[in-house]
Amino acid sequence: MTQKQQDSRERREREEHREHHDGARGWSAARGGVWSRLRFTSLRLRLVVVFGLVALTAAVSASGIAYWLNREAVLTRAQDAVLGDFEQEMQNRAGALPERPTQEELQYTADQMANSSQRFSVLLIAEDPQGRTVYGGSGGLSGFSLQDVPVSLREAVNERQKITSTNKYAYHLYWQRIVDGDTPYLVAGTRTIGGGPTGYLLKSLEPEAKDLNSLAWSLGIATGLALIGSALLAQALATTVLKPVQRLGTAARRLGEGKLDTRLQVSGTDELADLSRTFNKAAEALEKRVADMAARDEASRRFVADMSHELRTPLTAITAVTEVLEEELEFEGGGIDPMIEPAVRLVVSETRRLNDLVENLMEVTRFDAGTARLVLDDVDIADQITACIDARAWLDAVELDAERGIHARIDPRRLDVILANLIGNALKHGGSPVRVSVREENAAEDVHGSGSDRAGGAGAVTDDAAGGGTEPGTGAEDGGGGTVIIEVRDQGPGIPEDVLPHVFDRFYKASASRPRSEGSGLGLSIALENAHAHGGEITAANVPGGGAVFTLRLPRDVSALTEEDAEGDARERGGRPRRENAGGDAR
Amino acid sequence: MGQNETVPSLLLIEDDDAIRTALELSLTRQGHRVATAASGEDGLKLLREQRPDLIVLDVMLPGIDGFEVCRRIRRTDQLPIILLTARNDDIDVVVGLESGADDYVVKPVQGRVLDARIRAVLRRGERESSDSASFGSLVIDRSAMTVTKNGEDLQLTPTELRLLLELSRRPGQALSRQQLLRLVWEHDYLGDSRLVDACVQRLRAKVEDVPSSPTLIRTVRGVGYRLDPPQ
Repeated sequence: MTQKQQDSRERREREEHREHHDGARGWSAARGGVWSRLRFTSLRLRLVVVFGLVALTAAVSASGIAYWLNREAVLTRAQDAVLGDFEQEMQNRAGALPERPTQEELQYTADQMANSSQRFSVLLIAEDPQGRTVYGGSGGLSGFSLQDVPVSLREAVNERQKITSTNKYAYHLYWQRIVDGDTPYLVAGTRTIGGGPTGYLLKSLEPEAKDLNSLAWSLGIATGLALIGSALLAQALATTVLKPVQRLGTAARRLGEGKLDTRLQVSGTDELADLSRTFNKAAEALEKRVADMAARDEASRRFVADMSHELRTPLTAITAVTEVLEEELEFEGGGIDPMIEPAVRLVVSETRRLNDLVENLMEVTRFDAGTARLVLDDVDIADQITACIDARAWLDAVELDAERGIHARIDPRRLDVILANLIGNALKHGGSPVRVSVREENAAEDVHGSGSDRAGGAGAVTDDAAGGGTEPGTGAEDGGGGTVIIEVRDQGPGIPEDVLPHVFDRFYKASASRPRSEGSGLGLSIALENAHAHGGEITAANVPGGGAVFTLRLPRDVSALTEEDAEGDARERGGRPRRENAGGDAR
Repeated sequence: MGQNETVPSLLLIEDDDAIRTALELSLTRQGHRVATAASGEDGLKLLREQRPDLIVLDVMLPGIDGFEVCRRIRRTDQLPIILLTARNDDIDVVVGLESGADDYVVKPVQGRVLDARIRAVLRRGERESSDSASFGSLVIDRSAMTVTKNGEDLQLTPTELRLLLELSRRPGQALSRQQLLRLVWEHDYLGDSRLVDACVQRLRAKVEDVPSSPTLIRTVRGVGYRLDPPQ
């Protein structure tokens, strides 16, 4: 597999990975939204259902009991009146009949009985003098007949019971409620004590049934109203409960987004208010903790910054004098004692090392403090690399595979720092020749990578808007979108797998036993920070054929990144007239 | 200035004794005549007495700071100033360039670098045998090294003058900031383009009719600057 194929495969994988990642995030976010809404409605739903069930149970049992009691009361009253009348009539009229009455007598009595105040039908049964069973019914033969009387009732009526001290009569009055068609009826029957006709009555309970029906209807409506009322109540309650819950959710989300000053307004004394109070306390504690940590972090950073700063002053003096010593050394036949010459050389070289270290420390503290700013310029990448290699006398050790004409709008000094560190590192660990290749990628998609979140939305690049806005853009600024990819590849043994994740760590040494290196241990970390400042990225990998490759990706135009900086700068310095003149050139 | 046949005289204003001594030693060995002052006030007094060719000025000074010293010098004088800044924090550099400095070096500075910068700044004032050119009301006399606008002499620092000369040598042609850095500041590569921007602004303030809408020194977006002959 060639280098190029390898690269494109890796890139594809990366892109796929990113797509996949984004997709997953989108999906889970969408799912989260639906899910939370579902959950909220489900809590609402649960409340409504529970309220409805409670209301239903209460209403149904209350109406049931009321209906039942009413029904019994109504029916018993009607029935008692009818039965009382019937009994009275049976005694007064049927009892007055001879033991074996004729059909006519029976019929006449039945009619008379039926004409009482209660308007019931009567059926009298007796044996006539000839021993035949005769029937006398009110309303004629088409009316009430023995078929209408249930057999069980007939049997009960005709059953002769023993006369005891508690039971004075041989025959009793029995009744039963039947339903014929849709109409409820009361059927009752009894025998005349001491012989005589057996009488049955049939009384329609329709009026009572109608009353009870309307009662049932009104109870049903009441139950329905109770259900609706409970649902509304549940809704209201759900809202009063869910609003604070929602507010709490929003507040928690804000807190999660890092707005640590988020607080809830606490009103009332209920559990939700308690929860809000707890939330506020937690947020306060968190804020304090974060502030403490930030303060401690800040203090330690300031210490490093101050320290490296303080180191600078003596170093400046030492450096200036060291050069004098150096010149003495270089001067043939100079006045330096050969005995102390190694000492002088050591002082000179170590001073340079110390200089580099302090320089790098300062650079790191600038990144940590966020004061590192880009000074952008339009540069030819190939020229920059050549200049970087040339300035460090690496021309023989580096193979450059780059065509002129790849322009980018970047900070040349920072690019030089990145290149010097990457190439220097490759030379130190991989040995020459180091291969540096440049290519561009004109991707239409957002290639700012990690920089996009730093830029906070790429505003219009208003470069030179005031200063030279009247002129057409004659410059061949082919920057725009796209990425410049610079690869630094060495011929060494590559980077051990366990070291690979740490190559950009500060002061990381591959092994404790490794001989002291010339570097400060900050070089790659600074290179990475510089790439990040551009919204770019550096990745380290091993090439299958052997050797390590560091890939630097830089967006071709990082002006958008510095817009914010420039604005902040302007605010900070109170917008001097310079800015109007300058039109924000390069800054 | 420009008496190059004699040894150039420098004024070093630096409050730290060790740095002052060391730089004095180093610069003297490079062949400069060095006078030193430990504070801005002393420096300004020495400046009036000795008339040095160039000032090396520390930014962090007790009393009036380097920027203020720079501003006060610029009110009356156009002699070159190199700032010695302890940090290359951007605010420092930008404020320094705005207050009129010609160049800056960051501590800990190597004597050789400082020497190279000093020599480059001093060379800017050198006369060249050449003609004169006029751009509207602006007349650049290359042999006398003077610039007049509407007949009035303009007070330009050597750096501003050199920048104007380089631009006027190629009228209508855009020069990139890096090119200008090489031509004017003699920075090998990796020059700080803010030097160019700051100097262009100062120059515009002096030569343009309306500095906020320049007609002479135009910005060429994505490239650099260009001197336009008036239409």
